[in-house]
Amino acid sequence: MASGSGLTAEVASALGPRARLSGGTLFLLIILLLAIVGIGIQAAADATLFAQITLNGLSLAGLYFIVASGFTLIFGLMRVVNMAHGSFYMLGGIIAYLVQERMLNPDPTSFDLPQATLTSFLIPLIVSMFSIALLGVLIQQVFLRWNQGQELRQALITIALSIIIADQAVARFGGIAKEISVPVRKSIQLPIVGMYGTTRLVLLLVAIVVGVALVLIISRTRFGMIVRAGVDDRQMVTALGVNIQKVFVGAFFLGALLAGLAGVLGGAVNSVNKSDDGKFLLISLVIVIVGGMGSLTGAAVGAVLLGLIDSYSDVYLPDAITNYGVLLTFFLLVFVLAVRPYGLFGRPG
Amino acid sequence: MNIRNKRWGWLSATLLIIIIGIVAAACGGSDSSSADTAAADTAAADTAAVETAAAAPEKKIVMGFLSNCEGPFGPFWDATLAGYYTALVQFAGATPVDPADPKAGVTGAMVPGTEIPIEINTDYGCSDDKADKALSEAKRLVEQEGVNILIGPLSGDEGIAVANYAKTQPDVTFLNGISGAQDTTLKVQAPNFFRFFTDGAQWTAGLGAYAYNVLGWRTAVTIGDDYSFPYTQTAGFVSEFCSLGGKVTDRIWPALGETDYSSYIAKLPNDVDGFFLDVGGTGTVQFVNQYTEVNGNDSLQGKVMGGAFISNPAIIKELGSKVEGVVAGSALPSDATDANWTTYVDAITAAFPDQAGNAANIFLAGYYNNTQAAILGLGAVGGNIDDAAAFQSAIAGVEISTGVGPVTVDGNRNAVGANYVVQVSDKGATTLFTVPDVDQSFGGAFSADTPNPDRDNPKCVAGNPPPWAASITK
Repeated sequence: MASGSGLTAEVASALGPRARLSGGTLFLLIILLLAIVGIGIQAAADATLFAQITLNGLSLAGLYFIVASGFTLIFGLMRVVNMAHGSFYMLGGIIAYLVQERMLNPDPTSFDLPQATLTSFLIPLIVSMFSIALLGVLIQQVFLRWNQGQELRQALITIALSIIIADQAVARFGGIAKEISVPVRKSIQLPIVGMYGTTRLVLLLVAIVVGVALVLIISRTRFGMIVRAGVDDRQMVTALGVNIQKVFVGAFFLGALLAGLAGVLGGAVNSVNKSDDGKFLLISLVIVIVGGMGSLTGAAVGAVLLGLIDSYSDVYLPDAITNYGVLLTFFLLVFVLAVRPYGLFGRPG
Repeated sequence: MNIRNKRWGWLSATLLIIIIGIVAAACGGSDSSSADTAAADTAAADTAAVETAAAAPEKKIVMGFLSNCEGPFGPFWDATLAGYYTALVQFAGATPVDPADPKAGVTGAMVPGTEIPIEINTDYGCSDDKADKALSEAKRLVEQEGVNILIGPLSGDEGIAVANYAKTQPDVTFLNGISGAQDTTLKVQAPNFFRFFTDGAQWTAGLGAYAYNVLGWRTAVTIGDDYSFPYTQTAGFVSEFCSLGGKVTDRIWPALGETDYSSYIAKLPNDVDGFFLDVGGTGTVQFVNQYTEVNGNDSLQGKVMGGAFISNPAIIKELGSKVEGVVAGSALPSDATDANWTTYVDAITAAFPDQAGNAANIFLAGYYNNTQAAILGLGAVGGNIDDAAAFQSAIAGVEISTGVGPVTVDGNRNAVGANYVVQVSDKGATTLFTVPDVDQSFGGAFSADTPNPDRDNPKCVAGNPPPWAASITK
């Protein structure tokens, strides 16, 4: 890759030397520009709809961010592509649902659904988060500790785990989507947007809090300092006498905890669904590739891009091709890889 | 450093491809073990049948079964098997191996009125709602297992694929399981493919008239999963609603497997009288939850009419009072008490007591109807299937007895039968009224020459309402 120092060199390396701005990249840029103009025209036509779906996209991005931030942490620091990360998400929802069901003890003959209180929402949330965090540590210790550095082997082991977990979930939990009950589920009046659901707003808020907390942990604590150093140069950190094993356990704990949290929130806002594991794993991977591995800012930006693309394509693509909205995600991937092979905020490392 | 980076590039690219592959292949979960267990469980029954079959003078009768043991409809594997075997117990004198487990199969099935055994192939065809899988399983059963009467498949696109395959195997007789796409019989028209259960459009008979005449809707929007079964159901609603003068202003098709419907919901216009919802399975739960939250309604009553999904007991259980009062089309009543229904439920109870609760489950009923038709057809030709054409024309003439009364097939070998318009209540789904003798053409709206139901078809055209529309009034 182009090397150099200073801001100009940085920009130059980001875009590639002028001579290398190939036809393909130019084509992608034009498409991007057209898409932005198209959305702009549509937005001007119906501002309320635009505001609503933007908020939908952002709240979805919040969910994506919480999942992907854990993934990027593990990926960036340990070079472990944890293919069971989606399973952590799915199990998070299932555990919270089962705990809540036990707490609420609904009458099977009753037509009305049980209503959670703050306690019967928070306790399942906390139980689920920490169970998943411990499961993450267990998996790291049992399956990933003895084969460090063997990336493909680790990826295959975690794929195997995710398939086993998925099949067990179907067998024991069944195929019907379940909803985690929340204390308040209603809509409130927002300026421009109009009526908007509270659970999605809460989701967005939680994602922001998680993001801020992670930034503080990574930038202000000793653990965060080691993680940052580890992302840049793992061998050097080990050589300096840091017990990197402890840090790995911490990273897995935190990463799995976040996936579990996202699973519960996703189950409350959408539903607990046994086929979500593959979907959220794929999303995490795309976000990390787009954002750059190990970068929190990258995860946030990647999540927002993906959330907005998802939301806009549902509405602004012609009816006949809304089904293909998911392809746009991969156009984004291609575009980013073409202009910034390490991801938007990634560094060669 | 550089080498490592390169390696990472390759690794992440490979992994991405693997994940995409897994997601595409799984698409709704996977569980392949049940088929194997099922096959093992019933190996004994199989051997027994083979031994007796050797004595028969004519061409051996081998019946095969094709359903979904994985994918979105995988949970209904047992129900489809229960329908299949209940018919064999009731009409072919078979005995269940284990009344608690339909997978264990039956023994001693014979052609009615004869001593000719019906060999039951227990290497069941296991598909996952994908047409290619259903096709390869159908080919395996016919070409390798020697099945000459095949019952199945389960879902829309699979049915179209198997019906097309049937054309290449004129000596084999195919009877549908519960796949509901219209094209399967109306367009493909394989002379040896039968469907003794109504199609997805027929299941909506009465809904359009109810919306227009009773609820007073004049404009509607439809929203459904993007594949052939919701196309067919939506076609039924659109055709009837528009024939009376209603306008369908938009048709929205989220991809099957979508989980966040919030933006589709934002897109639903406020200035229409209501919408026809045919988002299936897990999607129904997610859609309704997200819709009710944003719209602040506790119930969708009066605003939404549903296809086959929303009145499903399992879905009602997850949605509770949110769907109270929603009116939907259904091929089966869940609250019937007449003699037909009781006879049907008793037959299930006698064979598989645990499955009696599934009587109103279309997955069970579809396989029950079609298997019964095959057995009665065998009876009509005295168990002689050497002349496949004669056997097939015998099947075309049978009248089967079902929970909703007698059912026959039309010239395209598709069932003509009653349909039910039901309303969700705290008792489940209560029948509002019955539409008798619904035929596939919907009173002439659909024929082999009309465009296939798809995202834009049928067009919304006024005039020529189906015969039952006039009688549905307030």
